Parts: sequence; structure tokens; C-alpha cells
Amino acid sequence: MQGIEVLFMGNNLLRLLSGLWVTIRISLISIGFSLILGTLLGAVMTSKKPVIKAICRVYLEIVRIMPQLVWLFVVFFGVTKLTGLNLGGETSAVIVFTIWGAAEMGDLVRGAFLSIPRHQFESSLSLGLSKIQMYVFIIFPQAIRGLIPNVINLSTRMIKTTALVSLIGVTEVLKVGKQIIDANRFEYPNAAIWVYAAIFFMYFLICFPLSMAARALTKKHGGE
Amino acid sequence: MKIFKKIAAFFAASALAVTFAGCNNQQESGGNDGSDNSGNAAYKTVDQIKESGEVTIGVFSDKNPFGYVDNTGKYQGYDVYFAERIAQDLGVELKLVPVEAASRVEFLETAKVDIILANFTVTDERAQKVDFALPYMKVALGVVSPDSAIIKEAEELNGKTLIVVKGTTAETFFTENYPDVKLQKYDEYNEAYSALQDGRGDAFSTDNTEVLAWAKSNPGFTVGVETLGSTDAIAPAVTKGNETLLKWLNDEIAALADEQFFHKDYDETLAAVYGDDEAYKENLVVEGGKM
Amino acid sequence: MSEHIIDINGLVKHFGDNAVIDGISLSVSKGEVVVLIGPSGCGKSTLLRCLNGLEPIQGGTVTLHGEPVIHGDKSLYRIRQKIGMVFQSYDLFPHLTVLKNITLSPIKVQKRDKAEVEAKARELLERVGLSDKADSYPSELSGGQKQRVAICRSLIMNPEIMLLDEITAALDPEMVHEVLNVVLDLAKNGTTMMIVTHEMAFAEAVADRIIFMDGGVIVEEGKPSEFFKNPKTERAQRFLKTFTYTK
Repeated sequence: MQGIEVLFMGNNLLRLLSGLWVTIRISLISIGFSLILGTLLGAVMTSKKPVIKAICRVYLEIVRIMPQLVWLFVVFFGVTKLTGLNLGGETSAVIVFTIWGAAEMGDLVRGAFLSIPRHQFESSLSLGLSKIQMYVFIIFPQAIRGLIPNVINLSTRMIKTTALVSLIGVTEVLKVGKQIIDANRFEYPNAAIWVYAAIFFMYFLICFPLSMAARALTKKHGGE
Repeated sequence: MKIFKKIAAFFAASALAVTFAGCNNQQESGGNDGSDNSGNAAYKTVDQIKESGEVTIGVFSDKNPFGYVDNTGKYQGYDVYFAERIAQDLGVELKLVPVEAASRVEFLETAKVDIILANFTVTDERAQKVDFALPYMKVALGVVSPDSAIIKEAEELNGKTLIVVKGTTAETFFTENYPDVKLQKYDEYNEAYSALQDGRGDAFSTDNTEVLAWAKSNPGFTVGVETLGSTDAIAPAVTKGNETLLKWLNDEIAALADEQFFHKDYDETLAAVYGDDEAYKENLVVEGGKM
Repeated sequence: MSEHIIDINGLVKHFGDNAVIDGISLSVSKGEVVVLIGPSGCGKSTLLRCLNGLEPIQGGTVTLHGEPVIHGDKSLYRIRQKIGMVFQSYDLFPHLTVLKNITLSPIKVQKRDKAEVEAKARELLERVGLSDKADSYPSELSGGQKQRVAICRSLIMNPEIMLLDEITAALDPEMVHEVLNVVLDLAKNGTTMMIVTHEMAFAEAVADRIIFMDGGVIVEEGKPSEFFKNPKTERAQRFLKTFTYTK
């Protein structure tokens, strides 16, 4: 158990928790924006117009090819260099993760919509449902069912990727952990394993309710 | 749905625009020869810093004992001690920003910090992009070995096995200057130290600051060679072209020599790790910018 | 047989340069069962799809009780409630139970009382022999059962007319009967229907009038007894021959 006391020294536990809050804040806001913009983007991506299709494709590929780290540099430093606009670290992080999340989300939504057979649309309309009613009662619930596992997957990927934001000066939970390990590296060289265990537990605490919520939602919309 | 599609299309388009702008910008900064200030955001002059009442300094937050955050959440270390003095002598509040090795240059280029004080080694390549002030510390290679067979001269390593970390100055230095030394290479520092402890090599070499600190907390090992190879300067850096701040820092460093400020800094922050030994101190501390 | 439910006047429908329906005029009266037959691709399914505005048309008019059916027009949402349509593919909503499949539209679109609608739905299910399946999901049903539910889903809207588009074409042979029996039962009870089918015996049994289509036009029409015994046109004769197995 050598080194575990480091977790309880000074304000360390509180600092880890506030680091966790930074992680949660950035990822939840980004995920929220990604869900909204990604759904809209997904609707656009199902367009049959070749120009719109091509634009969406290019956007998606560019976002995927460039590592998130490069995106963080481009937005945090690049925007300032280009326009003089000084974006904060967290704002930049949210922008980057939203650009990325919306693209991935859009592709997931597109896939989910295309997987719904045409006769589902036609029989909805034949029953006199309006287009909005058709989407709300028939199309979205079916799309969501296929979408939920993928969205959860994307969300956990986003949460884990937020660790990169320390490069643009934002101190999230993993960075706090590294600071604690480093501050005690001479007196408690074995603290690292305990700090990482604590962080692992904290990540689990966020991701677990997420997957529980996903399951509940799948049940609600899936039925089977 | 039509209006939704329009909004979404707008977002897609604007994201694309940002992307292309970003790529374009990277090319620009890559081609920046450092002779002008065109690629850099507006830095703050000394007067502007004093006017704003705050100086922003980028430091490491996990490089004990140079820049780190202690268990109460307060910044500490050799660099931080100097940063506090800078703020005090400017007569302004100090705002510390945690930086990473990989983003130090960008923080200055975009003027998101006024000064970088993060164990920043002066190199020609970096000097193209930022302006270095006078050095306040120096670093060379060191060699640490077990007490049972202390290596005191680099020549003693001929025919023996030396542990190094890939991509470090030590690797290049021994490859070029001591071809008869067998190198055992590792990716990470902790792997290298484990190898030394397990006796897989006869000695380990990297920056002397690093091996000195490690030997202090690992009884049974001694740094037999404290300075080897060329000595590199560690200095504060400012945004390229920020002449008033550069001059102010140089004057400050020169003036602080009178009170042997960096020796005091060493005693306050490094002595706990490196000890009070005068020889160690002289291996690291630079006073008045004179190497 | 005086009151017209649907009037089709000079209907023209193109897919690209290809005229699938090339000037069709036809009226269906209240209580009448009209069966459309003809070779594959003759335009009979497309004709049904034009009747409730699923397809844009290039010429002519379709009216329901004198009100024009216009593709893409807002009035369609109201008109479609009066036209029940059942497709060839199993088109139940997979995420809803049988009962919810049936009650969704009357509750959400017609704003009818939930209890009344559910009671009605159970009554319809009983009529088609599926009263025990109300809480099942579509994936738990056989193809024939799904089509019977689909019929209930249309009937509960109290449509003026039912359009059945090859509703047994995708079924295994042993299930065809159970579905067709339901349709025969509807016909007996005076439901106005337009049916596209390849089941000739069924067509003869259920129809008040047979319409034989080929190449996007009506080639021949008449009472089933006359049509099947003595088709007047050579094309209808040839078509009917394909259904008789001869050595």
C-alpha cells in the first residue's frame, strides 16, 4: 500500500475531483453540441445531391485524418495567429471536440437513417402522419435504437480524448494526476499506481452511468 | 426540415473553412524565418504589462523540482521561484499557465503568455522562433552508476554497457564520441532506471539534473560524472520581437547577480533534491547570465 | 353503386422518359371491389401509389370525393386518413407492439380517445384472429400475421377506401389463405377496395369488377365471371393463359 497516502495529502483528492469536473464539463458540453449538430449533419448527409454529399464527405474525412492533437493546436494557437482572436483553452477544447464529435455523430446518424427501409416512411405517410410525426414516432425511435451503442462508444472515446487538452494549458484529471505523482516522485516513488488507480475509478464513475443510461434507453426504444 | 438542413449545411461549411484556414496557417508559420513579427499575435510590452497589472508566465506543472504543483495545489520549483521574483520586480500580479514541452513555442508565438520559464533549453532552431534572454541555469550530461563500480570518467565506459533513453542528447553524444561504448536503449525513463537497478547495464546517462536528482533519492547509486559534453543554457524566452521585455529580463538577470539570487533560488528549491554541495550548485546555477 | 369514392381522369405517370401510366380514367363507387390485374410492370402498383399521393403525377387528376389528391400538398395528410393502404412488404413498425402499431395513427393523427381506439383495435384483431397478439412485437409474428395486422392498422382509420398492393406476394403459400380470407370478409361487409393481386382465383371471388392493365393503359374491364370465362382482348387471353398449367 506504499504510496496510497499521497492521494490524501494536502488538497490532492479535491484537486483530482476538480480535474475530473473539468474533464466532465468539456466532454459533456462537447457531446451535447455533437449530438445536436451531428443529428442535423446526419440529416444533411442523407441528401441525394452530389455536391452536398461531397462536401459532407470531405468534411468528415478531414476531421478524421487530422489527429485531435493537431486540431487542438490549430484552434487554440492557429486561430489566434490568424485572426488575433484569443480563445481560451476550454473553449478551444469544446470547439475541437464538437467539430470532431459532430462529424462522427453525423456519419452515425446517416448510417442509422439509411438503414431504415423506404416502406417505413411510406406506410407512415399512408397512415396520415405528418412528416414531423413520422420522424418523431417512427423514424427517430428506430434510428436511435441502432444509434445508442455507437453514440455511447463515441462519447467514451471523447471523454478519454479530453486528456489531450493539457497541451493547451487546461488541467484536467489526468494532468492533475501527473502533477501529484511528480510532486511526490522523490518521497513516494510508488504513488503513481495509486494515483492512476484513483483516476481509473473516476473515469469508470462517469462512463458507467452512461452505459446504464444507454441500456435503459435501448430498452425504452427497442422493446425487444 | 429545410431550415434544419440549411443550419447544418452552414455548420459543415464553416467547419471546413476553419480547417482550410488552419492548414494554410500552419504552412505560413512553418515558413516563418523569424526575421519579422508578422506571424505572431500582438505581444505585450513592459509598459503594457505594468498597465494591465498582470504578467503571464508559462511554467511546467509536473517537472519537479523545476516547475511543479505541490500537494496543496501551489506552484513550486526553481523556475517558479524566479517567476515570482519577476512579477514582484515588475510590480504586477503573477499569473502562471501550465505548459507542456511540445507547446512552449506556440504559447509565445500566439502571445498567450508573456514569458516562458519552463526549463527551456536554448537551441538555434528555437531561437528562430522565440527570443531567449540571458541564461539562469545550465545543463550537461551526467553519468550515474552503482556505488559498487562507480564510473568517474567517460573513458571508463569503453567496452562496457551504457543505458540511454532513445532520442536524448546522451544517445547522440555517446554514439558520436564514444563508439566503443555499448548502448542499451529504452523508450522511457522509468524503464531505463529499472534496467540500471537490475544491473542490466553498467551505468546510465542523461541530463545531469535528472541523474543527480535520481541518485539523491536512490541510495546505492552515485553520479560519478557530473558534467559531460557541451553545456546547454536554460533561459527565459519571450515572443519574437518583444524587445522591451527581453531587455527588461536581461537587465533583471544581470542585476540579480549582485544578490546571488539564483544561488538562493537553488537553496530554496533544488537543495532538497540535489543537496547543498557547492560543486553541484555550480554545475547548475548560472548567475548574471554568465555561463 | 352511384356514389363515387375515387375518380381518376386521364392519369399520366412517367419515370424519366418512361410512361408507366399512360392516360387512365376510372371511377370506384362506394362498396365496390375493383381488382387490378396485369403483367408485372404494367403500372398497376404505381397506379395505387398515385391514388394516395405517394408519387407525383405528370398529367390528369385523381380526386377523392371530388377533392383533388395532389402530391406534396398539405391537404394530403387529411386525405390519406380516408385512404387505407397495405403494401407488399411487411411494413409494420418494428419498435412498436401490435396494439401500438394499430392505435398510433388514430390517437396521434385523428386525436381519437385512447380507450375507444384500443377497444376498437382489439375488436379488429379478434376479427382477423389475432386477439392474443396485441402485445407482441412484429418480429414475433409470421408474415401472414403481420399482413393481417397491417390490414387492421388501416381499417381502424375508418377509411373510405382500402388500397391493397400485392399483399400476399411476399408470403409463403400456406399463409396466403389466412390473409385473403380476411379480405374476402371485408368485401362481404361492403368495404370499398382497390386490389392489386396475382391470385386469379381470389380475384374472381372477391371482385365486383376486374381491370386488366398492360403497358400503362386499361386494356379490358368487366365483371369477373365474364372476364375470366371470355376475355375479349387477345392480350388478356394471353395473360390468363400464363396462369394455366398445360403440358
